[in-house]
Amino acid sequence: MSAFEFTVDVIDPIGLHARPASQIVKLVKDSGVTVMIGREGENLVKANSPLMLMALKIKTGETLKVSIETPDEAHAAELVAQVQEFLKG
Amino acid sequence: MTQVLTGLGVGLNAVVAEVFQVAPAAALPAWAKSAAGVEAESAVLKSAITSVASDLARLGSAADETTAEIFEALTYLLEDESLFDMAVAHMDEGWAAGAAYGMAVNEFAEMLAGDAAFEERIADLQDLSKRVQASIAGIHVGLDLPQTGAYVIVGEDFSPADTAQFTPAVVGVITVKGGPTSHTAIICRSRSIPAVVSVAGAEHIPAGTSVLVDPVGDRVVVGGTLTDATEALTFADTGRDPLVEVRANIGSLEDAEAAAKTGADGVGLFRTELLYLNESSQPSVERQRDLYASILAAAPAGPITVRTIDAGSDKPVPFLNMPEEENPALGVRGYRLIQDHRTFIEDQLKGLEAARVATGREIWVMAPMIATVQEAAEFAALARSIGSFKVGIMVETPSIAALLPDLEGIVDFVSVGTNDLSQYLFAADRMNPSLGALLNPWQPGLIRTLERIASQAKAAGIYSSVCGESASDPAFAVLLAGLGFSSVSASRSQVDAVRAALSAVDDAQAQALAKAVLVAKSAEDTKSAAIAALSAL
Repeated sequence: MSAFEFTVDVIDPIGLHARPASQIVKLVKDSGVTVMIGREGENLVKANSPLMLMALKIKTGETLKVSIETPDEAHAAELVAQVQEFLKG
Repeated sequence: MTQVLTGLGVGLNAVVAEVFQVAPAAALPAWAKSAAGVEAESAVLKSAITSVASDLARLGSAADETTAEIFEALTYLLEDESLFDMAVAHMDEGWAAGAAYGMAVNEFAEMLAGDAAFEERIADLQDLSKRVQASIAGIHVGLDLPQTGAYVIVGEDFSPADTAQFTPAVVGVITVKGGPTSHTAIICRSRSIPAVVSVAGAEHIPAGTSVLVDPVGDRVVVGGTLTDATEALTFADTGRDPLVEVRANIGSLEDAEAAAKTGADGVGLFRTELLYLNESSQPSVERQRDLYASILAAAPAGPITVRTIDAGSDKPVPFLNMPEEENPALGVRGYRLIQDHRTFIEDQLKGLEAARVATGREIWVMAPMIATVQEAAEFAALARSIGSFKVGIMVETPSIAALLPDLEGIVDFVSVGTNDLSQYLFAADRMNPSLGALLNPWQPGLIRTLERIASQAKAAGIYSSVCGESASDPAFAVLLAGLGFSSVSASRSQVDAVRAALSAVDDAQAQALAKAVLVAKSAEDTKSAAIAALSAL
């Protein structure tokens, strides 16, 4: 399965806290595809657990790598655009 | 036969009804191993999670929108897949479902620890863990309040999950712990449910006993009737000017606009930190000028007292690096931020000066958390080098309260923040629900300290004001005027009530009230001395 990689910016003043983490997990579960998120150069975590996302302790101003496993590039782009929206705070 | 229990009142209306004692939940069983195997234990856990999730959904559907969102977010944590996987790993080691879930939650709590943004989520997570373990053990954690009838419910204190279960039958609330700013107090105030919090001994009132909840009297009268209720003071409109100036506390443009509709003489406390909490990077001086100018222009006529940033590691500003601290209330906060963030405080003052020039308003600036005369002098020199301000400091630390005479010639004014001054004077954490009674502004220890501050400020030629929560209580505001303060600053909703009280008394009356209060020996006696003096007018 091919994976598409994107970057998103964390603009939310509290960082990646409980609410955006829950929104991302809901989106990922509803979409049915596998999404991995994390810092560039670190191990990415599977975005099906808000607690794992929160445990990354990502702060405002950080840039994140998002990897989406799907053959459909347009779908992947759509998902990442929503993830970016959730991180605007 | 009547029995009186004292506490801290919330609201103005009294109520009489039967007591409903909320039983404390039974203790959870100790963590244990199980021989049933991973498959059986994980099925037990799964069904407990489902049952707690449906409890949350039920509470959420009955609650207002904000509370419903909280419950939805909690459900995501409860059903977290990694949390479940970690619990299953503990089942592999032989632990039973409840123990395995409790351990997994502790591990996540540890991973999230050390970050202020997650403190409350950790508390939520532990609460969920208790609910899941209780569900597995067959222990009931709901409040089981009656749906019909009228009851005064009595409990130790009530959490958000508890208050969400309040039914229409809850007509009064008594808590054994909790202070005037506890969750219970805030919810009861917003729903107009008469309440008295911090009532020691309330847990011993037998269920079914009729009680009077008398918030104005700060008491519960067992066997009392509505005719025993203390009446809220009302002041006749004399049309006179208030004895001292009454200013408003604001924190945003919306506050400034609302305050301008009251009779406030300017602003006695403009909390600036709200302007920065949503900024991801430090705003430029120009942006700050624009933010301030719009608020200054909207504020009520009169001088505007602006407090420089009052942030700390418990209320961090996103773009200032504020490391985790053991005791945030005793840490690097307020003016102490100048150690690492001098440019920020300078830019704040520059933005304010530009806004002052743009709007032509009279601006007073003051720094919070000043503990020494040197800090006061340093801030005064800095502020005067940047703008044409009147310069002052907040009096919140007991150390600066002891040094008022030494501030002569250094500052133009002082403003007492009674909430923090109480916290530091009584060594009583404002966030600790067991210490609410010590933070009652009617405590003689606070009032006598205020008396010394007012008289020493006057002797040193320094203008003095009180901007803490206490100044929003009309009776307390009259006391402050009688103690010699030059002005009081109240929350915008209380400005007109405080003005009415201060217009109904003259100097001699306020001073006589202060004299009677100063000889009283307890928080109950100081308040009743003040009420007696005002009722005799």
